[in-house]
Amino acid sequence: MAKVLEGPGMGLLRKWGISTPNYAVVTSSEEFDQLSQVNDWLQKNKLVVKAHEALGSRFKLGLVKVGLDLAAAKVAVREMLGKKLETLTIKQVIVSEAVDHKEEYYAAAKSTRDGVDLLVATCGGIEVESNWDKVKQVSIETGETLSDSALSSLVKDAGFSGDTAAKMAEFLKKLYACFDNEDAQYVEVNPVVLSGQGELVALDAVTLLDGDAKFRHKDWTFPFAAEFGRAYTKNEEEVMAVDAKVKGSVKLIEIPGGNIAMLPAGGGASVYYSDAVVARGGKLANYAEYSGDPPDWAVEVLTEKVCSLPGIKHIIVGGAIANFTDVKKTFGGIINAFRKAKAEGKLEGVKIWVRRGGPNELQGLAAMRALQDEGFDIQVFDRKTPLTDIVDMAMAAK
Amino acid sequence: MSILATKDTHVVIQGGVAGVNAARRMAEFRYMIKQPLNVSAFVYPPDAGKTNEIICGTELIMIPIYKTVAEATANHPEINTSLVYIGADRAYAGTMEALNDPHIKTVSMITEGVPEKDAKLLGKHARKLGKTFNGPSSIGVVSAGECRLGVIGGAFDNLVACKLYRPGSFGVITKSGGLSNEIIWICSQFADGITTAIGIGGDAYPGTDYVSYLEMFEKDPQTKAVVIVGEMGGDLEERAAEWYGAKKRRIKLLAVVSGFCQESLPKGMKFGHAGAKEGLKGEGSARAKSEALKKAGAIVPDTFGALGPAIKATHEELLKSGQVKPIPELSPADMPRLPKTVQESMKEGEVLVTPLIRSTISDDRGDEPLYQGYPASELINNGYDIPHIIGLLWDNRLVSKQEAEIIKRIIMLSADHGPCVSGALTTIIAACAGIGLSQAVAAGMIMIGPRFGGAVTDAGRWFKYAIDNKLSVDDFLVYMKKNVGPVPGIGHRVKSLKNPDKRVKELVGYVKSLNMATPHLDFALEVEKITAVKKDNLILNVDGTMAAVLVDIGFPVDSLNGFFILSRTIGMIGHWTDQKRQGSRLIRLFDYLVNYASPKRREVPPLK
Repeated sequence: MAKVLEGPGMGLLRKWGISTPNYAVVTSSEEFDQLSQVNDWLQKNKLVVKAHEALGSRFKLGLVKVGLDLAAAKVAVREMLGKKLETLTIKQVIVSEAVDHKEEYYAAAKSTRDGVDLLVATCGGIEVESNWDKVKQVSIETGETLSDSALSSLVKDAGFSGDTAAKMAEFLKKLYACFDNEDAQYVEVNPVVLSGQGELVALDAVTLLDGDAKFRHKDWTFPFAAEFGRAYTKNEEEVMAVDAKVKGSVKLIEIPGGNIAMLPAGGGASVYYSDAVVARGGKLANYAEYSGDPPDWAVEVLTEKVCSLPGIKHIIVGGAIANFTDVKKTFGGIINAFRKAKAEGKLEGVKIWVRRGGPNELQGLAAMRALQDEGFDIQVFDRKTPLTDIVDMAMAAK
Repeated sequence: MSILATKDTHVVIQGGVAGVNAARRMAEFRYMIKQPLNVSAFVYPPDAGKTNEIICGTELIMIPIYKTVAEATANHPEINTSLVYIGADRAYAGTMEALNDPHIKTVSMITEGVPEKDAKLLGKHARKLGKTFNGPSSIGVVSAGECRLGVIGGAFDNLVACKLYRPGSFGVITKSGGLSNEIIWICSQFADGITTAIGIGGDAYPGTDYVSYLEMFEKDPQTKAVVIVGEMGGDLEERAAEWYGAKKRRIKLLAVVSGFCQESLPKGMKFGHAGAKEGLKGEGSARAKSEALKKAGAIVPDTFGALGPAIKATHEELLKSGQVKPIPELSPADMPRLPKTVQESMKEGEVLVTPLIRSTISDDRGDEPLYQGYPASELINNGYDIPHIIGLLWDNRLVSKQEAEIIKRIIMLSADHGPCVSGALTTIIAACAGIGLSQAVAAGMIMIGPRFGGAVTDAGRWFKYAIDNKLSVDDFLVYMKKNVGPVPGIGHRVKSLKNPDKRVKELVGYVKSLNMATPHLDFALEVEKITAVKKDNLILNVDGTMAAVLVDIGFPVDSLNGFFILSRTIGMIGHWTDQKRQGSRLIRLFDYLVNYASPKRREVPPLK
């Protein structure tokens, strides 16, 4: 799943014929000045200025300014750009025209096991949260087409009538075309507004695309954004860059404030390890995972990042019994990074816990065990020790 | 008994290298259970018409590769299952091809990163046809004692440790590949092992869900209990719970679900597989799934670690009620094992192999080459030079500083002799004809022989013969004339007494200035004194001088041509790169340089 920021999200809606307000994504005040000289809409309309970054609660952070004239918008753009938050600096803002409207509606499409659910409601904006019963939906089965009759009964069922019902049916048809053709997993337009000119306009969009389908969308030139309300950290980005290059996978998410560092193998086992830490009252410093027999150097990079997490007390090098990930080889990468980190004084007072099985497990585990002779505080267990027991031991050891 | 992958399963593998690797793993499994390989064919258009070589025990089996699934099933009508090892961008088309083939009933897809829409379409198409589409991202399926699809179960030792050579009583369904193996292991240690284990893949919308497989297990009398390893996200676990709770089921159900950590993570942060995503309204959480499964009557341990004891308790209950009988364990001697490779057997001292060749000069088995036992880097760091390496590799000894200096000078003096000599000219012609470096230099090398540069060994041989047999110069010349012919190392095409070869003078002068015995060189110079009187150009040439000096410092006669070959290689490489640098074009001999002495044009007589 891959989140797309508002600008490119709006771009995709436009591509499929949905009206959006005029908008521009700008990266500098000068660029905005130049744009305002040649674009009428920037001069004539009230404007909205928003930080164009992967951030949650932009309103609360003061990163959404509404009802501005051009001069005020210029100030807002200047103030917002370059503003430093905890983990990121705002590099882009999106300026869009305010659209005069009376009515706000809600429309969304989401992927389900059997196909796509299309949702619509006569109330939009924040109101929809408290009026979820007003949201009506129709399910389109995988591989089926959306019929006009199903659409018109949906909008009638939702309470639309007359001219607006026809317009909303048309809007949903386009939304579905966009969703289906763009390999989307979730598109929520909230609000859809009826403009003074009687046109349905998408004012804001949350768009999640299927990152795995990127190979068939050459026009997805925009970057995907983190889904957890903050930008990716430098370490996360570096691990993602490695992940994109190698066979198999390496993954990292940092969680500030935790002290249990995770370095488990496998997309499945890694979550059980995280669960075990949380269940024992521990605080995760990160999520990590390597799988699919990645090269040793990729695991080494991941390990370096994990060792550099601030304030960690334990590193959990867990894993199930691998099918084809070579334990000796991947542990080789981990050991290299451990040695480097130790030489840099990063593993001072850190206890390392290892449990693993799989191809060449004897050699891999022996190599880990040999680190004890190099002064590492490391405990190594084989397949006979149940999967998450090392977490129990680590938590008891503090 | 088992489900999905059985003793009647016959497989086509769609894909390249990864597919071949899977076939090898499958062959190991079949060897363990003493059954023939059940992979009938590969489909991989780039290699269509060729075969893949699969090791099955002590045999090498050739499996044909086809362009299409239809060709594979036409030639091997026993095929009923396809394994998809095709890249994500082509996996949809390949899988459709397999599903649409009337012979194929089951398709299991290992490919990761398949777009959700494609997976949904494939799943729907399979259901419409009444076939099973397992995956994407599936590690595979294994039925103990019967069949393995894909690499599930890992290495051979693990298959044996997990007792996969004979069926147990537990079915396993997991999303995660690594955990499927873990559960197989747990079932073999805490209970009597598995019947069938299935990886359904960690994607959001796997082609076949828990319920379909639970229904199959319910109908398989050998399976008494099923272990599900679930994940947060989606509603597959809830549906399994619903199925299990709907009526009294024969099988016992055990389940764990991961994702409880989500509750204490920053909002929106998502771990694990693609499918492990909470619904926007909080549905699909680990807690909701666990509760649903518990409510439906499944055994749901609080942690993954508690799963082993729970499986053990279930097995004991089954034993007590008589539903399963204890399975006697194999004695260690009866445990299946793979045939050892020659290397493994040698390591364990079980076999003696007569080596094919013997080398007395170097060893490449460590992290750097050893020359006569000396690591190359240490020689470098201790000030040794190229002549020392020559001494080590050509004469098994470390030459002295003084000897090294002589060798160096010999190489420097004979590195090149201009473009006109046979070797250089041939290299240049080859370079102009667009021939590559190694071939062009080899062409020049071919010229080295009795008349050009190749007289060093022979010169050395006969000078040494004379000294060894204490011949006088006169006796030597008589002997040579009678038995050999012209004295090798004596005579030059253009140089003469009046026009002496400066290289010879240089080398002789240097060697004579040293404090060393030079019997062969002295003898050669005595020979020259006689021959040069007979004819002006019968002087000691550079080959003869080198030969005499090298025999004096003890190099074996057979190595002597090597000094010329080595030195002249430097020049030939120079000539080749020189022509290359200039972009020289093809050259040919001018006809005025040829004396056309063949018959004039004439009539061809009728063929008789």
